Amino acid sequence: MFKKWFGEKKNKTEEIIMSPLDGKVVDLVEVPDPTFSEKMIGEGVAIIPENGRVLSPVNGEIIQIFPTKHAVGIRSEQGLEILIHIGLETVTMNGDGFTAFVSAGDRVELGQPLIEFSIEKVEANAKSTITPVVITNPDHIGHLQVSLSEKAKAAETFIMKIEIKK
Amino acid sequence: MLEKEIVVDLESGLHARPAAEFVKIASSFESEITLAKNGKSVNAKSIMGVMSLGVSKGDQVDLIVDGSDENEAITTIENFLIGRKSN
Repeated sequence: MFKKWFGEKKNKTEEIIMSPLDGKVVDLVEVPDPTFSEKMIGEGVAIIPENGRVLSPVNGEIIQIFPTKHAVGIRSEQGLEILIHIGLETVTMNGDGFTAFVSAGDRVELGQPLIEFSIEKVEANAKSTITPVVITNPDHIGHLQVSLSEKAKAAETFIMKIEIKK
Repeated sequence: MLEKEIVVDLESGLHARPAAEFVKIASSFESEITLAKNGKSVNAKSIMGVMSLGVSKGDQVDLIVDGSDENEAITTIENFLIGRKSN
């Protein structure tokens, strides 16, 4: 069962993931939720956002916008599944303060707006604004290099470089 | 192939941690396992898929298991979803 979502297959075995947000990029172990810090969902980084504009970190396809719009899954051109989970315990906000601009199946380009959220509402109603960005299909990862930074720019600063396992 | 309707009785539904635990359990079986809610079905071994269903406590889901260890798989997974751990 192998869908041909990527048209012609390129011979690239490396994928670069950019920051989906403006903000500070930190190690996943700094996320105050063991689900993420213990990497139960996957490897990656977390971003402490400066604003609520979430841009696509890669060229790819939307796998899913969660019904509560606080998380989005993207499949990159090389087949990596990237989960952007906005804030912690934001599922309980039931979509209040979140606007999604894409839906499942949409093709997206690097830098395209995906979701906009109210930082103030997340600060007031959820546990944290810290936003884990993780790869949920580890069997595709040959080697992963993360890049932390004090001031990442959305869609401009790279946060992960991954060698794809074929 | 086995199919069963289950009412989820996990305090925080199938989000984050329970979703990760669920996928780990599902992945330990050979069988193909599908989880469905409101007509939308996902591969139970994919964390992204399972989380995207947005399953909350009290939701009814449909579990479809097909393979050599389907009997054991359906029992183990049902126990997990109704909050009864079987190990």
